[in-house]
Amino acid sequence: MFEDIPVDVSPMYEGERIRAANMFVELAGPKSIGAELVQVEEDVEDGKIEVIGPDLNEMKEGEIYPFGLLIEIKGEKLEKELEGVIERRTHELCNYVKGFMHLNQRDQIWCRVSKEAVGAGFGFEHLGKAISILFKEEFPIIEAISIKVLTDQGEVEKFLDNASKQYEERDAKARELSDEDVDVFYGCVMCQSFAPTHTCVVTPDRTALCGAINWFDCRAAAKMDPDGPIFEIEKGEVLDDVKGEYVNVNTVMADKSQGTVDRVYLHSVFGYPHTSCGCFEAVAFYIPELDGIGIVDRDYKGETPLGIPFSAMAGQCSGGKQVEGFAGLSLEYMRSPKFLQADGGYERIIWLPKAIKDSLIDFIPVDLADKIPTEEDANSIKEIRKFLREHDHPVVERLKESKKSAAEEVETEEVVEETSAGSDFMVDEAPMAQVGYVPELTVPSSGGMKIIFKNAKIYAEKVIIKKK
Amino acid sequence: MIIAVSGKGGTGKTLLSSLLIKELSEKGKDVLAIDADPDSNLPEALGVEVIKTVGDVREELKIDTAQGNIPKEMNKWDILDYKIMEAVIETPKFDLLVMGRPEGSGCYCAVNNILRKIIETLSKNYDYIIIDTEAGLEHLSRRTTQNVDTMLVVTDKSKRGMITAQRIGELANELDINFKNIFLVVNRITPKNEDLILKKAKDTGIEIIGTIYEDVQVAEYDVEGIPLISLSNDSESVQTVSNIVSRILK
Repeated sequence: MFEDIPVDVSPMYEGERIRAANMFVELAGPKSIGAELVQVEEDVEDGKIEVIGPDLNEMKEGEIYPFGLLIEIKGEKLEKELEGVIERRTHELCNYVKGFMHLNQRDQIWCRVSKEAVGAGFGFEHLGKAISILFKEEFPIIEAISIKVLTDQGEVEKFLDNASKQYEERDAKARELSDEDVDVFYGCVMCQSFAPTHTCVVTPDRTALCGAINWFDCRAAAKMDPDGPIFEIEKGEVLDDVKGEYVNVNTVMADKSQGTVDRVYLHSVFGYPHTSCGCFEAVAFYIPELDGIGIVDRDYKGETPLGIPFSAMAGQCSGGKQVEGFAGLSLEYMRSPKFLQADGGYERIIWLPKAIKDSLIDFIPVDLADKIPTEEDANSIKEIRKFLREHDHPVVERLKESKKSAAEEVETEEVVEETSAGSDFMVDEAPMAQVGYVPELTVPSSGGMKIIFKNAKIYAEKVIIKKK
Repeated sequence: MIIAVSGKGGTGKTLLSSLLIKELSEKGKDVLAIDADPDSNLPEALGVEVIKTVGDVREELKIDTAQGNIPKEMNKWDILDYKIMEAVIETPKFDLLVMGRPEGSGCYCAVNNILRKIIETLSKNYDYIIIDTEAGLEHLSRRTTQNVDTMLVVTDKSKRGMITAQRIGELANELDINFKNIFLVVNRITPKNEDLILKKAKDTGIEIIGTIYEDVQVAEYDVEGIPLISLSNDSESVQTVSNIVSRILK
């Protein structure tokens, strides 16, 4: 198949680096320009390979040249949407060619050709031929493929211009990619060395808690390192698309946490929030008095409205624990339209540090931007309540409504039970009983008294709030 | 083959590393030197200038990620691959990768995991990898040297140097890190104290592979800041290291 190519072509050359000392020429890279682009076209002459600009035998040893690689493909089932997916294989397939080094993608490629390859008579038409064959083998839906190799400065510049526009269009689409659009999520257990029951579920809408890896990174990692800590989770059956609960995610969670956690909601801090490792960039915490959610990030050194700083809060809910009312998260997740969507998203956010508010301002709904206080506006529950009322935050309406419905409930209920921690401990858990665990909780009360529970575990069969 | 050089700070790790690199690269081998000591001066000893370290790459990526500067469809694996290649300092004789500063606060699990894989892949392209490790024992407990074939432990005549050497040997055992070989190199001894020092060195429990004598020229190069790699081939230290290499490769 590759008999008229003067160098070996095989997956065993993946990862091949060509040292400066063994290099004939460098193409693109940090000291020049270059790009690669896959395009689905109507009219593709199968097997055509064109070199525009000097070929390898016309290049000077030790020099650096601009480099463009245009791959045009045609096929009945090929759609424009597939261009990105196919283009990403260029890196791998080019590396099958012995003596040809290829790094990265898009307009960030960096290639080198070895002295040995050029000595054997290797030229760009051979590169074109090898990758034509490899692409067709890899994607049988490609019926025709033609390759253009550009090494002329002016041509590469023009090509780069066009390619950049295409990348931007693709990125715009990728930003819109949501959990519904994919069939595979990823799990990451990189942090299990210190959070043994923690598995991070990474979806297009939900970046890993550490903020370091998103869905695209996981896709690459799972492929590059199949036995590594990042693995595929077939999305499978959706149990609740708003909360973000999936059968397969629950199964993986149970499996990887040795049964400790068997349910998670990807987009809520209530019920079964996602577990938290320890390296999350921020924590979302429920503020019960105001029925809203606050956010604090690692860089915020002051105290949160709960009266404790990030570090103390992180200590309470990290290590793979599932703590209702708390969820570790990445700042990138706060840019997602699904950000805590089951809880109301930004409409439920009632406090966050100014630094993160500023950095996320384009992602906070315009009508809410001024309604969410930062440490510059309010710090205590009382100050926040005042701020929320003055700025007509949606949570205020919510509070009023819940009070109203609670009052109605009281009217219709004949028997009123009230239980609180300490006074009436439930020994046997009722079937639906949930365990609320909060590092610190201030109970609203009157009569010159304030009750604060620290590290309270509250069991209540039923809690009814009465209108005073 | 991966050769690591360890020992207490100031005992001569960098001298040994740079002469190993000199010897192997002059034999025509492809050599990758890894400077894993945040406080080392291996680049100076090799006479090269550092533009970017792995630590810089790590921080750059961290900042780009936080600010949302990375195109959505591009993956960090490929980006890191490129950036690490940029950090490799290439010379006609050898290549050098400097690990640089330690991590800042926050989580580095993901990025370190990817970096480890990338450096592994990169390393496969060389005949020899020489790692100048950080002083002390940390590299053992963090298992950054667990794939090392030959561990060379350097000590000078000081008691503390000997104790560190002994601990490295013991800890490697305890942690079940099985170097194919572990040898001791005794540095900066004089014909006068040789017998006494070698006797003490034996107590470390590590087999002695070579002794480097106090070298006026090395001291002079150090004072003047002349790269140790340019020591002449008939220098006694160079010859000693050449013999050590022959024994390792035997």
